[in-house]
Amino acid sequence: MTGQISYPDVTQLAVPFFIAAILAELLWIALKKRGGRYETRDAVTSLIMGAGSVAEGLLLGFVAWGLLMLLWQITPLDMGTSLWAVLVCFVLDDLRYYWVHRLGHRVRWVWASHVNHHSSQHYNLTTALRQTWTGTFTFIMIVKAPMVLLGFHPALVLFCGGLNLIYQFWIHTEAITRLPRWFEAVMNTPSHHRAHHGRNARYLDCNYAGVFILWDRMFGTFVPEQDHDRPDFGLVHNIASFNPLRVAFHEWAGIFKDMARPGLTWKQRLLYALAPPGYSHDGSRSTSAGIKADHLARHPEDAGTPGFGN
Amino acid sequence: MPLELLLALVAGGISAIAAILHLTGRSERTVLTQASARDAWLRHCPGDSIRQVRPAADGHAALIAAQSGAGLVWSFGADTVARHLNGAAVSPVSAGLQFDFNDFSAPGLTLALTSAEREHWQALIAAAEEAA
Repeated sequence: MTGQISYPDVTQLAVPFFIAAILAELLWIALKKRGGRYETRDAVTSLIMGAGSVAEGLLLGFVAWGLLMLLWQITPLDMGTSLWAVLVCFVLDDLRYYWVHRLGHRVRWVWASHVNHHSSQHYNLTTALRQTWTGTFTFIMIVKAPMVLLGFHPALVLFCGGLNLIYQFWIHTEAITRLPRWFEAVMNTPSHHRAHHGRNARYLDCNYAGVFILWDRMFGTFVPEQDHDRPDFGLVHNIASFNPLRVAFHEWAGIFKDMARPGLTWKQRLLYALAPPGYSHDGSRSTSAGIKADHLARHPEDAGTPGFGN
Repeated sequence: MPLELLLALVAGGISAIAAILHLTGRSERTVLTQASARDAWLRHCPGDSIRQVRPAADGHAALIAAQSGAGLVWSFGADTVARHLNGAAVSPVSAGLQFDFNDFSAPGLTLALTSAEREHWQALIAAAEEAA
């Protein structure tokens, strides 16, 4: 096994770039009178969520680091730190991201952490920074374990994860409509990710990619952005608070409130934590599947179009 | 990056962006009309059948009577949010009406209403509760 390895914390180093890019997008929108919207409290909330997420990493990062280093001690494999190893690790980490992100939308326990990223009704570069404060509590870092066991050093795995997050920053914009066809075919782009942030029935649970949209095309979750059905950003049930604490913890509060309801079986309590968002023991709420079905009942002409079984 | 520098960048960046947004008029709350309140409700409750929309005089909220029950849609920055009123505690305050939705994602809301509006809204909400 390779000994001491360290990589720069690229997300921290990117902070000046993030600020400059946000100012540039704002200037673009102001000059062109198109390409997105900004609102003061929404943007400030997103930025505070981003700062809090960095702080959470500084405070609790040792949990994931400790777990991954433990695995590194027991694996007999070592892929090294060559350029090829970095490239393979980056691609595998993006595949890891796809599945973690998909779980983040399909398992309420993980959604409770990820939901805050979708809680803005705006879609601009500050939305990219609206990141979780509670990722450690989901224990989803366990999905990084196979990469370490395959011989990628934890420092390299975390470095690639940081690069992945930085890539995703620039795709949170309405200022870029569409990119060349070859690029849209392979890479995650503003257009693909706008669809992911749409609360329209069509766009629920699609486009989980981090860097390569190929994963969605491979696993059947790709939905192209439709010009006649523009993404409506936000949550199915939008939150009514700019308070970062409520943004960070509202779904956790919802889970525990639901699990503590009187008269439920243990299975029902467990499902309130682990079933897809929108699950309810009495059918009083709708999951994404139910929302899509309701939409098709009202708009049968959409059957078979992207996002509705095609 | 040294922690002190990171903190300075983050604090300075957030403050600068907030100041620019506010000074360029991006802190205004959306104003609801009869039509936009209706659209806003349907955005939150697609397929609902709306019977009546009553915007507040200041345009920052509207009371909705719909097939799914009574509800409130209100301005949330440049956007809107909506909640049904079943299960909500509605109480009069000097400024208007206070709503407690018993929902962590929608903390207490106080709407500015004239005294005549307040009485009318209370009557409409009570009637909706009885009908339910």
